[in-house]
Amino acid sequence: MKGLLKRWSFWCLLGLAALALFGTRLFDALPEAEVAAPFSKPLWLDRSLPPTMDLELSGGHPAVELDWTFSAPSRFSLRVETALPAPSRFVEWTLPGGKTFRLTPLNGGVELDGRDMAFKRSLGLPPFGDASSALFPERGTYRIGLTGEGEWEGSVKIRLEGGRWGLLGTDQRGRDIAALFVAGIRVSLLVGIFATLLATFLGTSLGLAAGYRGGWTDAVIMRTVDLLLSIPLLPILMALAALWGKGLWQLILILSVFSWMGTARTVRALTLTLRDAQYIEDLRGLGAPASYILRRHLLPETLPVLLATMTLGVPGAILSEAGLSFLGLSDPRVISWGRMLHEAQSFGAFTAGAWWMLLPPGLGIALLCLVFLDLGKYLEERVDPRLRGGNVL
Amino acid sequence: MSGYWARRTGSALLVLGLVLVLNFVLFRMMPGDPVASIIDPNFSPEAKARLSEVYGLDQSLPVQFLRYVRSTLTFDFGISFLTGRPVMEELKSRLPNTVVLLGTSLVLSSLLGTWLGMKAARKRGSLLEKCVLWSGALSFSFPSFFVQLVLLMAFAAALPLFPLRGTLSVPPPAEGLPLLLDYLWHMALPVFSLVLLGFGGWALYVRNLMVKILGEDFILLARARGLPERNIILGHAFRTLLPPLLTIFLLSLPGIVSGAVITETVFSLHGVGRFLLEAVTGHDYPAAGASFFLLALLTVSCNLLSDLLYGLTDPRVRMERGGGR
Repeated sequence: MKGLLKRWSFWCLLGLAALALFGTRLFDALPEAEVAAPFSKPLWLDRSLPPTMDLELSGGHPAVELDWTFSAPSRFSLRVETALPAPSRFVEWTLPGGKTFRLTPLNGGVELDGRDMAFKRSLGLPPFGDASSALFPERGTYRIGLTGEGEWEGSVKIRLEGGRWGLLGTDQRGRDIAALFVAGIRVSLLVGIFATLLATFLGTSLGLAAGYRGGWTDAVIMRTVDLLLSIPLLPILMALAALWGKGLWQLILILSVFSWMGTARTVRALTLTLRDAQYIEDLRGLGAPASYILRRHLLPETLPVLLATMTLGVPGAILSEAGLSFLGLSDPRVISWGRMLHEAQSFGAFTAGAWWMLLPPGLGIALLCLVFLDLGKYLEERVDPRLRGGNVL
Repeated sequence: MSGYWARRTGSALLVLGLVLVLNFVLFRMMPGDPVASIIDPNFSPEAKARLSEVYGLDQSLPVQFLRYVRSTLTFDFGISFLTGRPVMEELKSRLPNTVVLLGTSLVLSSLLGTWLGMKAARKRGSLLEKCVLWSGALSFSFPSFFVQLVLLMAFAAALPLFPLRGTLSVPPPAEGLPLLLDYLWHMALPVFSLVLLGFGGWALYVRNLMVKILGEDFILLARARGLPERNIILGHAFRTLLPPLLTIFLLSLPGIVSGAVITETVFSLHGVGRFLLEAVTGHDYPAAGASFFLLALLTVSCNLLSDLLYGLTDPRVRMERGGGR
């Protein structure tokens, strides 16, 4: 097992699993929350666009200075929360040139939006567009402060929605792609592992039965395998997903019912060679029942091989799940990488040029598949050292 | 010898029969009242009953099944619930696109893959071999739709070299050469993407097989006899490579046909796969059943064809007894 610690894939899988378990805690908001403007670019991408910002003013912190080196933000909104209204005090907005706007008196429950007509009229602005372009006409130092002196209990919250947000930007609904990406790991891992476990269970039992019993059992099972391997399965999966509802567990069940064939073939072949081995024959001669022989002798013999085929089967399940989700045949409430790509395609990522919506989920799927392929290769080489050095990874 | 052909054809027919049953069960079990999707809720109950009768939905299931088999075998798939046009007409306009898409990409990727794989096997340890090994591993781990979306984003949205969607421009250009060129222009990116996704797997298989073959005694003997290298590779090694290559082709067919659904959806092509997706999501039984049947028919007939070719390339399989492959 020491070799396992040297494989990059093992550590990668450990990291991804940790992210799947605890990753959502890295973010303040839930992955479903709409945190910024739709199609915001990642923070590191376009430095001339303003990032999305939240400013807060209060009695103890009455002024903020902003060094503005960007174009105007796309949206401006302001909220005043207080229990002590102060109608003679104002929120004052000073432009770099010295011009000032008095935005609003400090009354409780004030909510201003840059698109609001009355707000724009009160500032003496034309009624078209968002007020933010008038509030941010140039680059320079802006000062936002409260007028008047003395104590005031309350807070002014200003939100400037820019074109950039977070590590990976936002999607068409303004959700944080980094948070969605982390939430998607969970679905891919769950589906990949559980669908393969179930499929392996099915394949092993059917393969053992076919190999050990022979005769009709063998014929029926192996003809079914041939049939399922010779027709396109995606249409069937699509029909079943549409028919059965789109829940995660239904999906796992559907995927496993149609992916046990390879395992069954391998196990059957192994069983066939073992069935006539001397020690199995001796056991039969001693009167051991078939169930005992299968459970205590044949199954343990096949286990190492099974472990390898199982690991190599995970990418298939992950890719199938992603494909079905991409076609829109998954639960829209469950965040998965396939679903993210589906939404990127159906909701205008192309017209927005939002390539940052495509890359994280797609590369995530590929990485996870490579991890399992590499682990499978490792296990396969442990089982059969002749395979060593054959392939990359 | 004729027994081999008969057995293969028989098993193909059996598969087709099972596909029919599966098809019927699957698409009759789909949820939702199909009639509800084509009529106004304000229709009178009599009108609804009349429509059920037109579509044969008032009969018992066994009767429906027999009718279904009879009509499917005569390629009469009924009328689509969604478009109101005969399904056969819809499919006829779409099938050529699917066949062209899959056929071209399959031929190109298998040729490219075989060529690269053979080269890689002859030059062990070279850069080319490493590339082949990596492209194989990557083609098993990258989701096809992701690669296609990225290509679309890069070469159709960011750099408008290729069209974003469709098989023909709207409105289509005049008949003749401009029409053909327009069609090729639309198909170029989908076909390229499928070749890109497909050749890695082929190359990897061919390389692995070829490495094994080149280590066999008969190759050593051929070398000892002083045969020219070209002769050894093409005459001896390639000949031995063909039968297992056909097996792999056979096994990959269903996946390739399944891939049509995804490719046609990404590129919005006017093909059978996308029609199937629309039918499945729209509860359009006749259309969904017919498209699935057609895709299965395509797979089974290609399967049969390569089985027969297999018999031609490898005399041993013609002698084999029993049905096992």
